[in-house]
Amino acid sequence: MLSQIAAVMRLELKKSFFSRRGLWIYLLALGPALLYLIHAVDVTRDHEHRQALLASHPVSTEALHSIQPEMTKEQMEKLLGEPYLKNEYSGRRRRGQEGGQDFAIYRYTDGESDFTFFLVDGKVANVNEEDRCNLTKDSAIFATVFQFFYLRLAVFFGCVGIFTNLFRGEMLDKSLHFYLLAPMRREILLAGKYLAGLSAAVAIFTLGTALQIAALSWHFEPGQVATYLQGTGWHDIAAYLGVTALACAGYGSIFLAAGLLFRNPILPATVVMLWESINIFLPAALKKISVIFYLQALCPVVAAPEADTPALLRLLISSAEFPPAWVSIAGLTAVMLVVLGVAAARARRLEINYGTE
Amino acid sequence: MSGAGLRPAISVMTNDRVLFDNVSRFYGEVLGVNRVTLSIPPGITSLVGPNGSGKTTLMNLMAGLVRPTRGEIRVLGIAPDDPQRLCRALGYSTQFDSFPRGLTGHQLVTYFLRLFGFDQAKCDRLAGAAIERLRMGDAADRKVAGYSKGMRQRIKLAMAIAHDPRVLVLDEPLNGLDPLVRSETIALFRECAAQEKHVIVSSHVLHEVDQISDQVILLSNGYVVAEGQIQGVRGEIQEHPMQVLIRSSRPSLLASKMFEQDHVVEARLAEDGGAVLIKTRDADRFYRALNVLALDGIDIEGVMPADDNVNSVYEYLIGGEGSR
Repeated sequence: MLSQIAAVMRLELKKSFFSRRGLWIYLLALGPALLYLIHAVDVTRDHEHRQALLASHPVSTEALHSIQPEMTKEQMEKLLGEPYLKNEYSGRRRRGQEGGQDFAIYRYTDGESDFTFFLVDGKVANVNEEDRCNLTKDSAIFATVFQFFYLRLAVFFGCVGIFTNLFRGEMLDKSLHFYLLAPMRREILLAGKYLAGLSAAVAIFTLGTALQIAALSWHFEPGQVATYLQGTGWHDIAAYLGVTALACAGYGSIFLAAGLLFRNPILPATVVMLWESINIFLPAALKKISVIFYLQALCPVVAAPEADTPALLRLLISSAEFPPAWVSIAGLTAVMLVVLGVAAARARRLEINYGTE
Repeated sequence: MSGAGLRPAISVMTNDRVLFDNVSRFYGEVLGVNRVTLSIPPGITSLVGPNGSGKTTLMNLMAGLVRPTRGEIRVLGIAPDDPQRLCRALGYSTQFDSFPRGLTGHQLVTYFLRLFGFDQAKCDRLAGAAIERLRMGDAADRKVAGYSKGMRQRIKLAMAIAHDPRVLVLDEPLNGLDPLVRSETIALFRECAAQEKHVIVSSHVLHEVDQISDQVILLSNGYVVAEGQIQGVRGEIQEHPMQVLIRSSRPSLLASKMFEQDHVVEARLAEDGGAVLIKTRDADRFYRALNVLALDGIDIEGVMPADDNVNSVYEYLIGGEGSR
């Protein structure tokens, strides 16, 4: 039995990894890492630029933090010196009338953060500090991208591509009889194909996750990264990789079954995607009938709704208590086994009828 | 209509036959085969019929690739929904030309054998032997995608015979083969039949069916219209007089004497002037009368049935709708 599973996997792995039709799956998996890499390069260049500005316009962080609203322009310039960027314009002159105001924007940097001072009629009206990226901020961004883009779209559609192709693709290619003429139980064939698809999906998408994390942390100082890893870093990375693998297992089982049960698996895939997408708005009881709910429960950082999410939308978002990790893993495994059981029952009745495909 | 050999004791499930018991298969509302009852003995059996007559459906049913809507099938006592046992006993060369991509001929056969659970050494040995048997050794290391139609046909045959099955089911196996390979392949079928194996072949080429078959099954529109040894089938077609060609040095005399017999409906001299074609409604009385004429001194050089071949039987039973 094991040798038969291995034989099926050997053929299917080649197809799953090197199919020309599957190139877009690599793009989905590795695309986010490329975006993070571009971001890292941008942040690095920005940091170098700020350091250069600091060298030409030296100022201390303490001095920058000492500026308070209502201070005059002269007081500010005395404490901070010349800004690296100064924009002044007069409302009176522009409008050519009495009663207008004079505005000014002064920008400084301490080499790490950007400080922007808004002045009205020669007095500080507002101070804006734009932080350089930090690991806490970036890990929150990563959590949001991971849960709302990577899991829901990239892994989801990647699994559609890999797993529906295992049976349906061969029906379309008219080559499925190759397996059905071998003396093996259909369940063995299903297991071999599923494990091959899972191996490919896990390898491709966990690699994508790992590269994203690597690209994201690339621009930080080695010391910062070491501190992060000694803290929650390794646990977080392991959790993200594990969640990616579980997502492949969960979605994979669903789309393997869809490829067996439906002539056009895109329709069930669309229905599942809609269900997973509206999960955030569903009542707590319904939330639990989904893959994404358990995956989010296992993510180390909670991706909360953005602060600028409209109030009406916030009202629609219902919260459900995330279950403990073991419940999530057991729940996902149960969903996967039930779906694979349905697929196995279908595989036992599978017929070759290429003419109707 | 049934001849001798194919329909004895269908109720008795024997372990050396391929049995169909009142089998029907519908594709939605489209008929595949209907009420087929057969008992196929070892030897070469040809399935003959026009396109859409149900030949491939019958083969797919035997191999478990489709299931009967009604009825029961046993291949050497094995149900087709038991692939672990069935596919060890049966090899099927399908009409489909698609294979897993990127494989050489040798890899294709080897990978197929790996699915049987054999170890690599055994797979290599069996694959090598099957490929050599089909004379594909030179092309074994080339990609199947680059094979000609005939080579793909042969590699499919190699896959079907590689595990030495007792039942070979071959859908149009001679298609695309050149004459030399064709005769070698027919010799292979005969060799298998001589080993008491079942070789079940579908073919459109009726004169080849005549050459190779121990028995035939004629299909039309999903129904079995005749089965058995071809001479037996021909003998049961009463509405068409039997045709016999007699070579003689005195064909005119022979023709006139024969025409005196009331069972002879036509006596016609052959174009070369050395033979007479007789059409008779009673073969037994015809041969008795011929013996009497020979004893009376009319020289008989040879007697040859002119229409107990598949082509004629096919023509009589199905008409000219099939391709020849």
